Amino acid sequence: MSNFKKETKILKSLKDVFEIKGSVKSDKRISIKADKKNVSSILLFLKNQKGFIHLNHISCVDWIEQNEFELVYIVWNPKTRLTVMVHTRIKRDEPVMENIDTIWDQANTYEREFREMFGIEFPGLIGAKEFILEDWDNIPPMRKDFNSQQYAIDTFSTRPGRENAQNVREAIQKRSGEEIPDFAKKYSRD
Amino acid sequence: MSEKNTIGIPTVEEIKQAQIDFSPRCTAAGRVNDKETQKMVDYILNFARKHSLFVLAYGTGCGAIEIPATMTSRYDAERFGIRGAATPRQADILMITGYLSTKTLKRVIRVYEQMQDPKYVIAFGSCTINGGMYFDSYNTIKALDRYLPVDVYIAGCMPRPESVIRGFVKLQELIQKGNAGNGECYRENLDWYRENQQKVIKNWDFPENYNW
Repeated sequence: MSNFKKETKILKSLKDVFEIKGSVKSDKRISIKADKKNVSSILLFLKNQKGFIHLNHISCVDWIEQNEFELVYIVWNPKTRLTVMVHTRIKRDEPVMENIDTIWDQANTYEREFREMFGIEFPGLIGAKEFILEDWDNIPPMRKDFNSQQYAIDTFSTRPGRENAQNVREAIQKRSGEEIPDFAKKYSRD
Repeated sequence: MSEKNTIGIPTVEEIKQAQIDFSPRCTAAGRVNDKETQKMVDYILNFARKHSLFVLAYGTGCGAIEIPATMTSRYDAERFGIRGAATPRQADILMITGYLSTKTLKRVIRVYEQMQDPKYVIAFGSCTINGGMYFDSYNTIKALDRYLPVDVYIAGCMPRPESVIRGFVKLQELIQKGNAGNGECYRENLDWYRENQQKVIKNWDFPENYNW
């Protein structure tokens, strides 16, 4: 295997320009952590200077323990076949993130989905209105503090017959004696 | 020609003279005054209906993937008279294939109400029965028969084409007995259905009165 020459070079060029933490995850995969305000300039730099012209994916993670959302931008260079993952964290209390659909048009769809499913606002977003859900009047459903099962019981008429259904985590614990971590107990559905 | 034959089959003249009620609430069978004639008419109509089941080509969930397999040469559903129909007005059967989100439910109700009598509903897959693997989902309904009258449930996740055809055969039996087709039941109990539907569909913008 190579010594990650290409990867280290990209990482170094990024570290020269921006204040970031980062590492080479594995062959052709570079992961960096950046501040919220730097993200769009990092993405522009990667797109225009380094040939990462393809936006693979944007994903959102709800870190409810740390009261933060994590956004991950994954970009790809078709010539060198390198992937860069740009991680950034925003506060859960005021979820506002810079709109990047001027850099990649397809980011618009992701951002509209985050707006609806996590409640993250993107100032200047085109088409910032109802997207997938219809007439939703509760807290955004992909947030960790939304209790989906309770909502389903309250809203829909259910049918008996599921009483014997087991909680997967507890069933595994009973069978193998595995301990449930404390953070998981907090979100147990029982 | 006026003599009745021994097994009670009506003569041609009697069928011609029989007054058929064309009231708008006229259900599955054409109405005939004479009881014996009515039985005969029902039998013929039901026989014809059960062998020409037109299924609306509308898939709501993952289950729609089993329909092409059922229709094509290996399982060949058309030997039972089952085939696709392009629009709700031409269709006899509404198949709810798999999970049904609340957003789709609104459209499905609209489609069902536009279908002509006699109309049948086949609910397909365990999601329509009790929610299936989406039992705790915030956006899918759990029991379809609270919102639409269901004739036949096909259990399974997914039901294979054999089970689908078994469901259709069951529906054919019901049609022949005259027990299928809940359009009238739906109209009579409309208040109950509407109450359930409005619990789920928040922005209610349906017309108050249909010309059924």
